[in-house]
Amino acid sequence: MDQIKISLEHVSYTYSKGTPFEIKALDDVSLNIRTGTVTGIIGHTGSGKSTMVQLFNGLTRPMEGRILLDGVDIWEKPKEIGKIRFRVGLVMQYPEYQLFEETVEADIAYGPRNMGLDEDEIRSRVAEAARFVGLSPEMLTKSPFDLSGGQKRRAALAGIIAMRPEVLVLDEPAAGLDPMGRDAILNGICEYQKESGATVLIVSHSMEDMARYCDDIIVMDHAKVRMHGPRDEIFARSDELIDAGLDIPEITKLIWLLRSRGIDVDRSIYTVDRAEQELAHLFGI
Amino acid sequence: MSQPFIQVKNLCYSYQDDDGREVPVLRDLTLDIHRGEYVVILGHNGSGKSTFAKLLNMILEANSGQILIDGKDITSPDMTDDDVFALRRKIGMVFQNPDNQLVATIVEEDIAFGPENLGLPSEEIRRRVDDALEAVGMTAYAGHEPHRLSGGQKQRIAIAGIIAMQPECMIFDESTAMLDPSGRRDVIKTIETLNRERDITVIAITHYMNEAARADRVIIINDGKVAMDGTPNEIFSQGERLAQYGLDVPQGTALIHRLRERGISLDGDCTTPEQCADTICAALAGKGEK
Repeated sequence: MDQIKISLEHVSYTYSKGTPFEIKALDDVSLNIRTGTVTGIIGHTGSGKSTMVQLFNGLTRPMEGRILLDGVDIWEKPKEIGKIRFRVGLVMQYPEYQLFEETVEADIAYGPRNMGLDEDEIRSRVAEAARFVGLSPEMLTKSPFDLSGGQKRRAALAGIIAMRPEVLVLDEPAAGLDPMGRDAILNGICEYQKESGATVLIVSHSMEDMARYCDDIIVMDHAKVRMHGPRDEIFARSDELIDAGLDIPEITKLIWLLRSRGIDVDRSIYTVDRAEQELAHLFGI
Repeated sequence: MSQPFIQVKNLCYSYQDDDGREVPVLRDLTLDIHRGEYVVILGHNGSGKSTFAKLLNMILEANSGQILIDGKDITSPDMTDDDVFALRRKIGMVFQNPDNQLVATIVEEDIAFGPENLGLPSEEIRRRVDDALEAVGMTAYAGHEPHRLSGGQKQRIAIAGIIAMQPECMIFDESTAMLDPSGRRDVIKTIETLNRERDITVIAITHYMNEAARADRVIIINDGKVAMDGTPNEIFSQGERLAQYGLDVPQGTALIHRLRERGISLDGDCTTPEQCADTICAALAGKGEK
């Protein structure tokens, strides 16, 4: 039986409650996230995914329901919610706008220093975090504002990784990056996950990235969880994804076009590797 | 052939870093863009593509080289303030973040902002606002508050604000990067309509290869120069070169290339999923006949 790292139990959240502008962002959501997995969260704008992300580390408090970390309600002692934020690291959208220190090193060290760690430990954590995200030692002495966009993003991620969170939550970590920058940041996240055994949650609009990096996928739709399961299962239901206002990977689109023309290929293909095998087989190779 | 709408000759641009060193961004960039073209510009972060866009409507000024718009040299020292305003009316620009581009509290007032500044009579402003809303498919939202719209809707309002200035050319600087898939689809559809039905020249900068697949022409900028220039099919058939420039090919294209490497003969275009499906179906049918 898999261990459960985080659970939401009947969680609801409403913006502008009691006014004419009331918007239900989460409506009685319950789910379990397995320890040590990478889970992708997808959904159209306004489906509730960003609200959900802010609940995981106690940035917002649910109006109803509970959030359990290792089986314990994170709001059991509201005054100690700060400790939860060391254990559940949140990387927000466009985190590079939040860099503020004089050097990259000082910026990455900010979180560990707030945890009250000693200087040796801080130094070793900064070095480790920089290694995960692929920032060279020379870059650490630079001003964060002299880095390229992709490097800044990685520096911001390193600032969270340096706290060695048990759970790493990322809201659109690759948005606006070019293909190389995207691979660098997503590979960095996966490296950290593998070495630390952390549980990772990634919000993304890119179905291609989801297909490549995630074990499980949650599909949000109108404040509720519409689908949640292993990625194979989710991508096999591509018609429902489209129905929820989402994209499917380009390669899956191609596979579906082939099926619609009477060619017998597996409907749950979502990577180029699998498509290559399937078609090579069809061509008798 | 008629004179190109935009002629860029040996354009160079550099900036000074904190230590006073010159950092070159564009080095000898040369290209022409014709009226009515739909051009996508690709390049990795830092390749100089956004700088190029900002030079085209004089948000930045070049160090050397020439840009001729409709035959007029905008890099000339004789450019007056009036010339700059005239240029920006001719070439409108839509940026990445929709929240940074809206100024008014009601959608139609936001779109009227530009035309009002031109000092146009109010009937003309009304006509232009209505026309611009229709062009982006947002007529029903004329009286709405922009901050309550989705990202894609906000971006279409930003586009409408430019349309109301009646530009001849529009530059989209990663205008879909912050949108969700349905918002992105709507904005791309809007851009295509503006190009096809209103004959507006479109220059779109993006990281999404599938957006590039739909353009007339794709230009790759690398290291401040034009590295590749051709139709989407010509460009994406050279996957290895693209990888050198830090770029991808669309997934369907990658699949066809890999199958060809395995010795399967696949003839035909392979940029969009539809083209790839055609190419694969034709090959399978041919195999059946043998």
